[in-house]
Amino acid sequence: MTLLTVAIPSKGRLMEQANELFERAGLKVERYGTDRGYRGRLVGIDDIEVAFLSASEIASQLRDGKIDAGITGEDLLRETIAPGNDVADVALRLNFGPADVVVAVPACWLDVAVMADLDDVAEQFYVLHGRRLRVATKYLNITRRFFAEKGITGYRIVESLGATEGAPATGTAEIIVDITTSGATLKANQLRILDDGLILKSCAVFVVNKYSAQLENMCNLLNMLGRAIVT
Amino acid sequence: MAGKTSLHRAALERQNAAIMAVFERAGFDQIQPDIIQPADIFLERSGEDIRARTFVFNDPAGNELCLRPDLTVPACRYHLSHTKKPEAETKYCYLGPAFRFPDELLSPQEFTQAGLEWFGDKADIAAEARVIKLAVSALEAAGLTGLKVSLGDLGLFNALLEDMPMPERWRRRLRHQFWRPQAFRNLLDTFAKPARNQRSSISKNIDALEDHDAVAETSRLLADEKLNLVTLRSVEDIASRLAEKLADRSEQPLAETMVVAIESYLKISGPLTDMTSGLKAISKTPRFLGAIAKFEQRIAALEDQGLNPRRFHFSADFGRELEYYTGLVFQIEVEARNAPLSVAGGGRYDSLLQDLGAVTSIPAVGCAIHTDRLLAVML
Repeated sequence: MTLLTVAIPSKGRLMEQANELFERAGLKVERYGTDRGYRGRLVGIDDIEVAFLSASEIASQLRDGKIDAGITGEDLLRETIAPGNDVADVALRLNFGPADVVVAVPACWLDVAVMADLDDVAEQFYVLHGRRLRVATKYLNITRRFFAEKGITGYRIVESLGATEGAPATGTAEIIVDITTSGATLKANQLRILDDGLILKSCAVFVVNKYSAQLENMCNLLNMLGRAIVT
Repeated sequence: MAGKTSLHRAALERQNAAIMAVFERAGFDQIQPDIIQPADIFLERSGEDIRARTFVFNDPAGNELCLRPDLTVPACRYHLSHTKKPEAETKYCYLGPAFRFPDELLSPQEFTQAGLEWFGDKADIAAEARVIKLAVSALEAAGLTGLKVSLGDLGLFNALLEDMPMPERWRRRLRHQFWRPQAFRNLLDTFAKPARNQRSSISKNIDALEDHDAVAETSRLLADEKLNLVTLRSVEDIASRLAEKLADRSEQPLAETMVVAIESYLKISGPLTDMTSGLKAISKTPRFLGAIAKFEQRIAALEDQGLNPRRFHFSADFGRELEYYTGLVFQIEVEARNAPLSVAGGGRYDSLLQDLGAVTSIPAVGCAIHTDRLLAVML
């Protein structure tokens, strides 16, 4: 049998929940060497190697075909792999790690309810202040696709590598595209999600490289994990 | 492939020399705008769709620069920095590299663009016909046969809207969305429905403005909800849009006949010289008839240039995707292996120079040829 590499998030809540999933499936994830190792195996299944990577690295390694499968967030997957590029696709939705990718504006913008308003505001802003609206986000591609779909062009993306929700208050951007679970962080920062500003209802996904999807040990693994998903 | 062979380079140079000879013989001064441009001017002007395809980088001082994705804006900047009287009639041509992240077949990330820009033209329609003629002549001088010219005319669309009774802000928004078919359709639907039936999460804010001073009431709403004012948008900016929305509620929805007229107009397409009766069937209102007359004059002007407009194609919705144009838009295609391939395009863009810093609006019409693509289809 072919040796498969399956990547699991190496830290945080996503790692814990991935481990719980494997446990429910009756699979023990074991790290080689010390507890800090980056490789491991599934006890009881031969020919599957486990790689411990960050969730964003898992998405890019899937895109580059470097691993056979992996658990990552759907948000990171959609950001990393363009639609139409079918190198890897979602095999299982794992129903944990829920996160909505949303467009949020300052709550003080009492005149803005929907994306179409944003287009109008962008034009007003350009006329009055001589520049484009800035969108702070780490999701450059998701943002571009969604805004294009909604027919909005008068904006600029400012790449944000953390604390995106603070951008409007600190003046580095006017609006944001970010993930939220309860909306509490957005609210605390006086931001409001647009009525039609839900871009993606993301959760953790098990993604398989299309060349590995038919392999026997991959099918077995998918069956075991599929039965262990809590619905 | 990493670079061009000597043979390929020589063929491209030969072709482009023939193109530039046509432009220069016609009295266009060959200039060389900068390759490296301030990023802001492109990105503020074009929006994120072009930004996504533009090579942007920082200089050591942190300024954002870019490799030019197109030569029209650099030619405009050249013009504004080299002349004291930017409104005086000036004719430029250029040949040089442009850079874009590739997005389609035969669209390499560095390519050579040849083109011309005619600023401050007094001739209007005749100048437009002349530019089309020069583009066609240049392509023929390069050895191309069987080219197909397609035209659109934003003047017709604008005149159609001008004649329809609706608030000016609706017209402005329809013009703004002309380029985006889906958003345009949604907007038209919104205007055709009675506004008071449309509720959203901000409807209560609009309700609150009724019979009150917009700015005072907006300030009160912000204070009541303890909302801090962030970003450059002032209470006045927010209040003025809320007031517009309140005003929209008492506007008559756009009449069904007008929605139909706009939709039927956008569906018009066919041979350029067969369009007049179809256009007149859409509307016989004064400005639109004026625009049709201008449209017919353009056909005559094309004939004066020795072109055969009977073989040109007109499409009312043509020009979507090309945001800075203000009147005529055109594109020249050739039959390639799978589908027609665009090798040149251009049109009128009367507001661009002012946007880039000129004091008044200056007429401008121009065209550009994608020389690498041209060579590829002829090989």
